[in-house]
Amino acid sequence: MQIREYILRRLMILPLIVVGTSIIVFSLSRVGGNPIAIYLEHEMTPAEVAEIEERYGLNEPLPVQYLAWAGGVLTGDMGWSAVSAQPVTEALFSRIGATLEMAIFAAIVAITLGIGLGTFGGARRDRLPDHLTRIFSISGASMPIFWFAILLLILFWVNLGWFSTGRSSPEIFASIAHPTGLYTVDALLAGNLGAFLNAIRFLTLPAITLGFGATAIIARMMRSSLVEELNEDYVDAARAKGLPERLVLRRHARRNALIPTVTVIGLGFGFLLQGTVVVEIIFRWPGIGRWMADAVLRGDQATIMAYVLFTSILFLSVNLIVDVMYAYLDRRVVLGG
Amino acid sequence: MVDISTAPQSPPIPTDGPWAVRTRRFGEVSKQVLRNPTTVAGLVIIVLLLAVAFLAPLLTTPNVPDPYQMPRDWGTRDAPPGTPGHLLGTTSTGGDVLYGVLWGARTSLQLSVIVVSITVTVGVIVGSLAGFIGGRLDEILMRIVDVFLSIPELIFALAIAAVLGPSFTNIIFALSVVFWVKYARIIRGQIIHIKQNDYVDAARVTGDSKFRIYLKDVLPNSITPVMVQATLDMGGIVLTAATLSFIGLAQAGLAEWGVLVSDGQAGISAGKWWASTFPGMMVFLWALAFNLVGDGLRDVLDPRTEGR
Repeated sequence: MQIREYILRRLMILPLIVVGTSIIVFSLSRVGGNPIAIYLEHEMTPAEVAEIEERYGLNEPLPVQYLAWAGGVLTGDMGWSAVSAQPVTEALFSRIGATLEMAIFAAIVAITLGIGLGTFGGARRDRLPDHLTRIFSISGASMPIFWFAILLLILFWVNLGWFSTGRSSPEIFASIAHPTGLYTVDALLAGNLGAFLNAIRFLTLPAITLGFGATAIIARMMRSSLVEELNEDYVDAARAKGLPERLVLRRHARRNALIPTVTVIGLGFGFLLQGTVVVEIIFRWPGIGRWMADAVLRGDQATIMAYVLFTSILFLSVNLIVDVMYAYLDRRVVLGG
Repeated sequence: MVDISTAPQSPPIPTDGPWAVRTRRFGEVSKQVLRNPTTVAGLVIIVLLLAVAFLAPLLTTPNVPDPYQMPRDWGTRDAPPGTPGHLLGTTSTGGDVLYGVLWGARTSLQLSVIVVSITVTVGVIVGSLAGFIGGRLDEILMRIVDVFLSIPELIFALAIAAVLGPSFTNIIFALSVVFWVKYARIIRGQIIHIKQNDYVDAARVTGDSKFRIYLKDVLPNSITPVMVQATLDMGGIVLTAATLSFIGLAQAGLAEWGVLVSDGQAGISAGKWWASTFPGMMVFLWALAFNLVGDGLRDVLDPRTEGR
C-alpha cells in the first residue's frame, strides 16, 4: 500500500471511531441514572419536572437525545458545567492552557531523558548501566504517580522548601496579561524574566512527576532498538572502516534506533494525558485534569462527557500523527489496517 | 473459562505426545526464567506480598463486622511510626496504617484476580471469534476494539466508575470493561498467525471439527502472550485501582492502599509523612514485582516483542 493511500484510509476510519467513542461517552451518561437529577430542586411540582424534561429533551427516545447532544458538540455547545458554574466549552478552553503547558514540559523531560537513558543503557548491553536503566524503566512503569508526587512534595516542599504547589506566585503574575494561557510564554511576551523563572519553578515538580512514566517507556524502547541496531551488518561495516565507536553510535546506530522509538511516543502521550488528572490534584494545578477530578466527585456528567470526548480525540489524533510519521521514517514498514 | 481438559469429544487428559512436550517445555522455560536475577527478585516480592495477604487475619485482629474497613482508634490520631500498638503510626482519623497496609494486600489480591479472570476470559472469547472465524465478524469486532482503545485506560475507567458512583465494586466493574480489549487484540493476532501453520491444515484434513481444532491446536499455541500480558496486568490493575481510589472513587474507610494515601495526603504539609508513604510503597512494590516477572517471562517466551 502506498503511504498516501494508507493515510487516506486512516483518515476515513478516524471519524467512524470518533462516532463510536461518542456513543460510548453518551451511553456512560445514561448508565448512571437519569441526568435530570442535577436540575432538580426540592419541592418541585411534577409539572415543573416535566417542563425541565421537555426543555432538555429528556423525554425523547435515546437515539434522538444522542443526536441532539452530538449536534450540540459539533456546534460547540456541550452543556453546563456544574463544577465550574459556566458553559462546558468555556470552562474547557479557560483551563486547557494550564494542562497543555505542563504536558509540554513533561514531554520535553520524557523525550530527552528517555532517549538519553536508553542510549546509555543500550550501548553498554548487559553491563551495570544497562541493568540500572532496566530497573529504572520498570520502576517507572510500576510507580503510582500519586505516590511519586507526594514523595517529591515531602522532600522538596516540606523539607527543603525549594518548590511549592500551585501554578505561580500571584503577586508576580498580577500584572501579566494572558494572551496564550501558557504562563511561560505570557511572561516572555511581557518581557518579564522574573515571572518566566517563577513559572518554570512551579512547573518543575509537576513536569518531572508527569514525565516519569513516559520517560521509562521511551528509555526502554530506545534501549532495545539500539541493541538491535548495534547487531546489524552496517554497524560492523562502519567499525571495520575504522570509525570511532562514539561516531558509530551517534551517526549510525542511534539514528536508526530512533525510528521504532517514535511509535511509543503515542503510548507515552496517553500516559501523560491520564497522569494529568492525579498530578493536577496533588499540585493544585488549575487545568482540565483537576476539573475532571472535581466533576467525577460531584457527578457532573456534562463535564465528564466533554472531558472524555476531548481527551480521546486528542489521543486518537496524536496516534494518527505518530503512525504517519513512522510510515514516512521507515519505508520498510508493512502498512496494514 | 475455556478449559481444555473438559472440552466436548476430547479425552480428559491426552496421555501421549503434546502433553509430554508441553510439560518438558514448561520445565525448560522455568529454568530460563529463574536464571534472570531481576525476575527472581520479582518472584520473591510476590511470594512475600501473597504471604501478607493470606496471613493478614493472623497478623492483626480483624475489624468487626467488616475486616475490610479500617478500625478507628479515635484516641490515637496522627501517631508517628513506632507508637506502641501502631507500628507504622496512625492516620488523621485514627486508622492503624499497618492494618491498612496488610489488609490492603488482601484487597489488592482479590481485585487483581477477579479483574484478570474476567478480562482474560472475555478477551480470549472475543479475540478467538474474530481471529478464528474472521471475515465480516472480525471486521466488526475489531472496530469495536478500536473504539475501546481510543479512550486512555485510566480516563475510561475513571469515567465509568464516576457515573456508577463511588464503591470498590464499581471500580472492579470499570476495570473489567476497560482491560479486556488488549487480550482480544493479542489473541486475534496470534490465532491468525497460528492458523497458517501446516499442523492446523493437517488436523483439518483428518476431519477434526473446527471447534476441536481450535481447542486442541490453535488456542494452546496462541495463549503464551496472553499469559505474559496477564502477569503484567496483575500489577497494572492494582496500580489503576489505587489511582481511582486515591481520586476518591472507593468508599471511605476501606482498607485499600489508594484510599490510605489519599487520607494521608492532607497531613504531609505538617510533616506527617507516614500515612501516605507506607501504603504508596506497597502499591509500588506490588506493581514492580509483577512487572519484573512479566518482563522476564516475555524475554524468555516471546523475545521478539521485547520492549513494546
